[in-house]
Amino acid sequence: MTVCLENQTIVLSGTCGVEDVEALVNYLEDRSDLSVDISAATSVHTALWQALMVFKPRIIGSTMSSLIASKLLPALKAYIDKDR
Amino acid sequence: MDELIAQFTIEARELVQQASEDLLSLEADPGKRESLESAFRAIHTLKGSAGLFDFGPMQGILHQAEDLLAQAREGQILVGAGLIDPLRAVIEWIDDSIEGIMQTGRLSEVQEMQAPRLRGLLTGEMAEHETSQIAGMLKTIPDWALALHRLVAETDRSPSLIAIRYDPHPECFFNGDDPLETISRLTDLRYLGVSVKVPTPSPQDYDPFRCDLLIEALSAGSLAEAQALFRLIPDQVTLVHLRASVGDPDVAEVQGSPDPLAGRRSTTMRVDPSRIDKLLEIAGELITEKDGLIPLAHEARSQGSGDLARRILSSHFEIERLVGSLYGAVTQARMIPLERTFRRFPRLVRETSAKLGKSLDLIIEGETVEADREIVDSLFEPLLHLVRNCLDHGIEDEAERLRVSKPVRGRIWLSARQRGDQIEIKVADDGRGIDAQRIRTTALERGLISEMQASALPDEEVLQFVFAPGFSTASQVSDLSGRGVGLDAVQSSVKRLGGTLELQSAVETGSSFTIRLPITFSLTQLLVVEVGGERYGIPISDIIETHKVPTCDIQCVRAGRAFILRNRTIPLLHLGELLQMRPSSLASGTSGNLTVLIVRSGEEAVGVVVEAIAERSETLTRPLSRLLQNVPGIAGTALMGDGKVLLVLDMEELAQ
Repeated sequence: MTVCLENQTIVLSGTCGVEDVEALVNYLEDRSDLSVDISAATSVHTALWQALMVFKPRIIGSTMSSLIASKLLPALKAYIDKDR
Repeated sequence: MDELIAQFTIEARELVQQASEDLLSLEADPGKRESLESAFRAIHTLKGSAGLFDFGPMQGILHQAEDLLAQAREGQILVGAGLIDPLRAVIEWIDDSIEGIMQTGRLSEVQEMQAPRLRGLLTGEMAEHETSQIAGMLKTIPDWALALHRLVAETDRSPSLIAIRYDPHPECFFNGDDPLETISRLTDLRYLGVSVKVPTPSPQDYDPFRCDLLIEALSAGSLAEAQALFRLIPDQVTLVHLRASVGDPDVAEVQGSPDPLAGRRSTTMRVDPSRIDKLLEIAGELITEKDGLIPLAHEARSQGSGDLARRILSSHFEIERLVGSLYGAVTQARMIPLERTFRRFPRLVRETSAKLGKSLDLIIEGETVEADREIVDSLFEPLLHLVRNCLDHGIEDEAERLRVSKPVRGRIWLSARQRGDQIEIKVADDGRGIDAQRIRTTALERGLISEMQASALPDEEVLQFVFAPGFSTASQVSDLSGRGVGLDAVQSSVKRLGGTLELQSAVETGSSFTIRLPITFSLTQLLVVEVGGERYGIPISDIIETHKVPTCDIQCVRAGRAFILRNRTIPLLHLGELLQMRPSSLASGTSGNLTVLIVRSGEEAVGVVVEAIAERSETLTRPLSRLLQNVPGIAGTALMGDGKVLLVLDMEELAQ
């Protein structure tokens, strides 16, 4: 499972492709209070990033990819915080 | 070969041809705006593609050429020889470079050495317009790029930054795009920002598979890297080169899209030909497969279900109609205009005629006629040979032309027209023509005809001997045509494509070669026969009729056999023997009836014994390629419904 619910947290793990976006959106729609943990994800498709930007959950952890961690994540968190 | 290089060479060839055509038309009509625009577009695109690689001076030269054209577009310089000649030199230089690039992936040293000369040619014109050129380069950069630049200006002092604005297509996920992954491939990304275009989509409106993002980034890598990364989606990306401009961001060069011409992007799409071939193959299989419904209908009828049989047959009829139109549509997709081959000639002729010191005009007509891609592509070699033949042997030198009161400039015509389901291509000249009498003498000397035939054959037929293998009347071999490969090579390559080649000629007036070719490799009706346990296809058009001949009616005539059919003696051959099968593998056929196909062999009818007639089949016959193409008696191959390949026989060649 690349998208699953563990201990009241939505966990993304491994390679999260575009096909996983529906599972993520289902969780986010049902439980807007849950956080999303991306620390176990090796790669995350743009569609999933977009879902995170639309639903704006709290994002926990950083990803394996240093570029995403250093450039995208701050931008994403800034975007989410700004709109909150 | 590197896939990108391969793609570049294909594109570059097309663009070079486009540009040289545009220059030709500008030469004829300097006021032709659309040719100027088109030439500019071709050079601009070529520059963009070349920028992905390190081809030394090529990028710079193209940039200069583009500048010249840009000035001409703005009316700053006049369209004339001063503009066209240096541009033509550039185009020809690039054309010459492509082959080397294809083989080595880089610009050859020889080509590189010519670069300064080209630069000189180009700047000779530019020097007078230097001021306007600089003015043209000062363009303001868009606000968004400035805003991005301000974000990093305090911390980042890179000498050069690329501002990127990537607006992914809403449906891009379906194309397999992963925009953030793509942009993260840039080696030196200094800033990355993402935003959702629709402010806050309500959950009902939100479609997770629709991309509504806008991505902005700054990269300290090269512009070429960014262009290479986004080369497949140029319409979604804007690149702005911010050059050493921290203090003065107004001096910058805008590059990449949005191109002012982007709105005119062509509506055609490039498809890998192998995909079309796959479709064609499937359509071919469907055609074979649909015939399986007929025995099914017969079976239903024999079991007393007449109604079911009728329904099966009517559905067979409908499928047949649909498959037919599917096949037609797919063959249509393979059709391209002959232009692709024809437009390689003007330059070739110009160069060759200059080398020979002959002045002549090449007149091209009917280049819009379309034919199957494979046919169009395979035509270049034979046409080249014929055109060279006209240039070398046909057109006289100036002195001789004057002596026989012809215009000094010779003329060569390369023309095509469609006639029914065939195309007719003519390569003609107004040169010295071919003397039928001389051909007759040579044919006699070579023992190709007897003395009696020599005097009986009309001139038109005698002329066709020039296509006989090894036949050459040229007293000296030139390095243009001749040199071993004769007109026989031209004829056999035309024949391989299912066409014919003919020569008409009149002394002093000129010669004309006519190639007739099928437009597509159309469907042929084949009769599948069995012999020696093997199956072969024979085009039904080759078969006059089929007969059961009782063995006792066969008569021995010297070494051969024959039988009487409607008061005519028909020679009888065995297909197995024609195919040189071992006699042991052939059924003896001493008793009962023989199955005989009556086929045409020249003017004669010949009987060919087969062991059995299996079925009729409608299928696509393709010419043999490479290793097999010289096997006599084999016309091509056909793919059957069961995936097996059937050899299609050329009965006329076999029976000779």
